[in-house]
Amino acid sequence: MTPAADPTRYRPGLSALPAALALLLLATPFVGLLLATDWRHFGFAHGDGGAVRVSLGYSLIALLPIVALGTPLAWWLARHRVRGQWLVDALLLVSLLTPPLAMGLLLASMYGPYGPAGHLLERAGLLLTNSAPAFILAQFYAALPYYVMAARTAFEGVPRELEQIALTLGYSPWRSFVHVSLPLARLGLAAAVALAWVRALGEFGAVLIVAYYPQGIPVKLWVNLQDIGLDAVYPLLWVFFAAALPLPLALGMAVRRRLS
Amino acid sequence: MRIDYRIEHPVALHASFEVAGFTVLLGASGEGKTLLLSAIAGLIAARGEPFDGLPPQQRAVGYLPQGHALFPHLRAWENVAFSLRGARRREQAMQWLERVGMAGLAERWPASLSGGQQQRVALARALARRPSLLLLDEPTSALDPVTRDEVLAELIAEVHQAGIPALAVSHDPALAAVADRLVLMHGRRIVQIGTPEAVHAQPASGAVARLLGLRNVQRGRIVGAPGAQRLSWPEADASLRVETALPDGTAVDWHVPPAAVRLHDPAAAPGDAIAASFELRQTSPHRNYLGMRCGKARLWVEPPAGYELPAAPMLSLPPDAIRCWPVEEHA
Repeated sequence: MTPAADPTRYRPGLSALPAALALLLLATPFVGLLLATDWRHFGFAHGDGGAVRVSLGYSLIALLPIVALGTPLAWWLARHRVRGQWLVDALLLVSLLTPPLAMGLLLASMYGPYGPAGHLLERAGLLLTNSAPAFILAQFYAALPYYVMAARTAFEGVPRELEQIALTLGYSPWRSFVHVSLPLARLGLAAAVALAWVRALGEFGAVLIVAYYPQGIPVKLWVNLQDIGLDAVYPLLWVFFAAALPLPLALGMAVRRRLS
Repeated sequence: MRIDYRIEHPVALHASFEVAGFTVLLGASGEGKTLLLSAIAGLIAARGEPFDGLPPQQRAVGYLPQGHALFPHLRAWENVAFSLRGARRREQAMQWLERVGMAGLAERWPASLSGGQQQRVALARALARRPSLLLLDEPTSALDPVTRDEVLAELIAEVHQAGIPALAVSHDPALAAVADRLVLMHGRRIVQIGTPEAVHAQPASGAVARLLGLRNVQRGRIVGAPGAQRLSWPEADASLRVETALPDGTAVDWHVPPAAVRLHDPAAAPGDAIAASFELRQTSPHRNYLGMRCGKARLWVEPPAGYELPAAPMLSLPPDAIRCWPVEEHA
């Protein structure tokens, strides 16, 4: 006797075709990378090691202000409705929407040596052009709106009732946030951190304008292409993936495991 | 404990009554009952006593919301220990769980507990905070109907044992039946207060009778002066004999107990009996009801045991069993 087909079992059917096509299209450039890499003469250009250190180190540092400032903003946005809220939403959208190169120009005009903020900060000893702080500044602007959007959604998923129950159990709003809101939003917040990391690490346009030096991986890829050629791009790109992928991949897997 | 609260938003509401033992505030959905609990707990803007002006974390209330709201990321004992501090918090939490008979499930996650078990954990969590007032929002709503009465009995026993005044808001007449004290709310006002016995004996209005779950609460109008009155029942297109002191033309809610309704064979029916048709039978271990269709209305009848329903039954309603309450025309 043949076992009866389980009617509840998901049958891929027609939807499998476009899904497979989407996967194939996603994979195509990386298959290209695999084929184009000259594995026998795999070597790094001068300064590639420094670029990896700059990218990883400063991206990690950039995550600190992004999380420290973005989390309270995301929570506030998730929990409060005020008049003119659309202005805040519009500001976030504009930050997301601005082409990275244009964002770099805007940052330069504000924080550069001739910009109003840059002028003041420079007098205080903080140079925001072609410096480590400038690099982190560009990453901060590139990743913050993504982090805030994702973290806001994470906080919106926390039942407000549970935060209120914590209050009735004698917790201050701050302790309720730490002991209830944060743990319950942790999966979404992990995803937000992963997203911010990816955005900060991969940022090219804004970094190119305000911090051509110190060179991180994206700018160094561009420099290698200009100075040496395509062959000098691929090894650094492999290192970029190896360095950038573990954190978001691990966070993503943790979230999936938790959800399944 | 005296409760006196005034809420302006999102609806205007004023409630003033005494909470003693297990007090049930009975009202239909949309009366603002949950809002009142939120106000007492300090979760919405309102003025009133007790706790006036205090932030929620300084109000000594144990709040059990609808659905119990256990923290899903904490085990049962961690939920109970939430308001406890110090090295002995686990030990103390276990004692509270012991009290509500849940010590064996202390390590469980809330999602793996039944509705009744969750409620007991939520009660232990609320009691561990050592409140001076317990607030329960629709405590019967998330309970399995089969075990509900038992869970409810245990809940009330625990509340009595804790010796803390408890205010439960509900629309469930079954909960009202087990209260020490009943407060009835209609039209966002308190309309009657008393023991369940007193309120059941003398419901203050048709609205109260409906809240108490009484069957056969209908609308009608008094026709004629006291002494020679009839009750016009438009839904059944019938006119019934009644004895009230209400003036001619008064719009009324009226009620007749199902056990008082008489069933007759058409041949032996009194002159003013109403024609009815059988609709459904409701059989329970305690009582049997027949649902009888009279025009556009349904009348519940509790027939004597072993009664054989005639093919075309007629109903008569003894005038002394009919109770009438005047209603405001716009209500």
